[in-house]
Amino acid sequence: MKEEILLQLKDIKKSFGTNHIHRGVSLELKKGESLGLLGGSGTGKSVLLRSIIGLENIDDGEIHFRNQRIDQYTEDQMLVTRKNISYSFQSGALFDSHNVFENLAFPLMEHTNLDYRQIKEKVKEMLQLIDLPGRETLMPSDLSGGMQKRVGMARSMILDPSIILYDEPTAGLDPLNTQNVVELMKKLKAKGHASIFVTHDIPSALQLCDRIIILGKGIIIFNDTPEAFRNSIDPEVSKFKSQEDQIKGKSYGH
Amino acid sequence: MSLKVTLNRYLITTHEALKTIGEIKYLFFKIIKGTFEGPFYFKKMLEQIVAIGMGSASIAIVVGLVMGLVMTLNFGYGLMKFGAVYYVPSMVSLSLIREMSPIFTSLLVAGRVASGIAAELGAMNVTQQIDALRALGTSPVKILVIPRFWAAVIALPLLNTISSAFGLLGGLIISHLEFGMAAGFYLDKVRFGVRLHDYIGGCTKSLIFGAIIATIGCYRGLKTKEGTRGVGEATTWAVVTSSIAILVCNFFLTKIFLVIIAK
Repeated sequence: MKEEILLQLKDIKKSFGTNHIHRGVSLELKKGESLGLLGGSGTGKSVLLRSIIGLENIDDGEIHFRNQRIDQYTEDQMLVTRKNISYSFQSGALFDSHNVFENLAFPLMEHTNLDYRQIKEKVKEMLQLIDLPGRETLMPSDLSGGMQKRVGMARSMILDPSIILYDEPTAGLDPLNTQNVVELMKKLKAKGHASIFVTHDIPSALQLCDRIIILGKGIIIFNDTPEAFRNSIDPEVSKFKSQEDQIKGKSYGH
Repeated sequence: MSLKVTLNRYLITTHEALKTIGEIKYLFFKIIKGTFEGPFYFKKMLEQIVAIGMGSASIAIVVGLVMGLVMTLNFGYGLMKFGAVYYVPSMVSLSLIREMSPIFTSLLVAGRVASGIAAELGAMNVTQQIDALRALGTSPVKILVIPRFWAAVIALPLLNTISSAFGLLGGLIISHLEFGMAAGFYLDKVRFGVRLHDYIGGCTKSLIFGAIIATIGCYRGLKTKEGTRGVGEATTWAVVTSSIAILVCNFFLTKIFLVIIAK
């Protein structure tokens, strides 16, 4: 049986002034699949995610979600689509004047008809999932960076979207918090959410993702399985792996 | 060469100014359209009325009282030379209710509210909270801008009324203490001098000024970039621009109301 394609990017082009970020990026995301989007700094990984949910407008190309072209949607149409494609911000982007409960309850209050008791239950369930039970009344400023990211991730998936876009969820975290976030992402993957995971953290991407994509010079220079990534002798991929190795002092090959 | 550069700079500045005016107009239409489309965040609007209205009540009281005291002193001693001191209550009350109270209250409230709105929304913008709202499928205009807009539109006429009332009280105090007028005589003169349409005109002005303050504050907040420095610039810009807009708008509104009253 043919796997359902949830998201399709066709020949995306995006520039900021004379800086051509994307020169023709095409990719597909299937139901339940996880893509690891890698690339050096400034290669437009986050811009690609923001373009998918319409926080940035693309210059050319097409974005299809469930066979509907969404890049030409108005902001009001995109607001509806964003209930199905959620975005987990690098910083968490929690509402700083609202506590953890209010942050998590916000999407439910906005888009569902659940009563207060049901919302409370759902938030409690989410806090269990992200391993932060009983922290409902804490303000974002009371949370560590890792906790903020986890709450942000929980908020982005509380409406049970089809796709979750993770923007560097492990950036700036210590190894323990990184592992916590990765474990959370594994749980979400097991629930059947498709995802695109933008990261510099190659070991986490290899643990989580079904496919690894490398962006470079405005195009996709690699798109294959984690195994193929490990074994790749492609000069561009090898160069990318060695640069990351030098920065992190690790080796990802055999 | 330098003339060409200067002209070019003026052209760019004019283009930017026109673009900004166009964007503010666009936001205003989005506010009106969004109000009727719903959802309408009534509770958030009430919270903003408290924040804008109650928070600015002390400003309105001080501005009104001081204006009443100062204007009565000036008019009183000026008119005393011509034996016309008994015209003071009508003159002071009419100037206060038609002009001084709406404009000064709005200008001082602009300093507090436009800066507050621009700083709050600006800080939310630079910390990606506005993007987070959009990413969660919620319109920032509907949840943040529209409640603030209607709160300012409702609160400003109320503040203007408070300011006018305290202005009249200030006038009464000085008229009695300095010029020996009886309170009943003062109030009678005010009642005959000021008509309902004068009060409605003043309130309509402050309502429009409230719309200007909220629209400009929200516009600049949503456009804030470049971190904390950007937030600082946004607050300054919002206060200066809304103050200028109020002053310019006041001239045209005064002209319109005078024509309407004359008819």
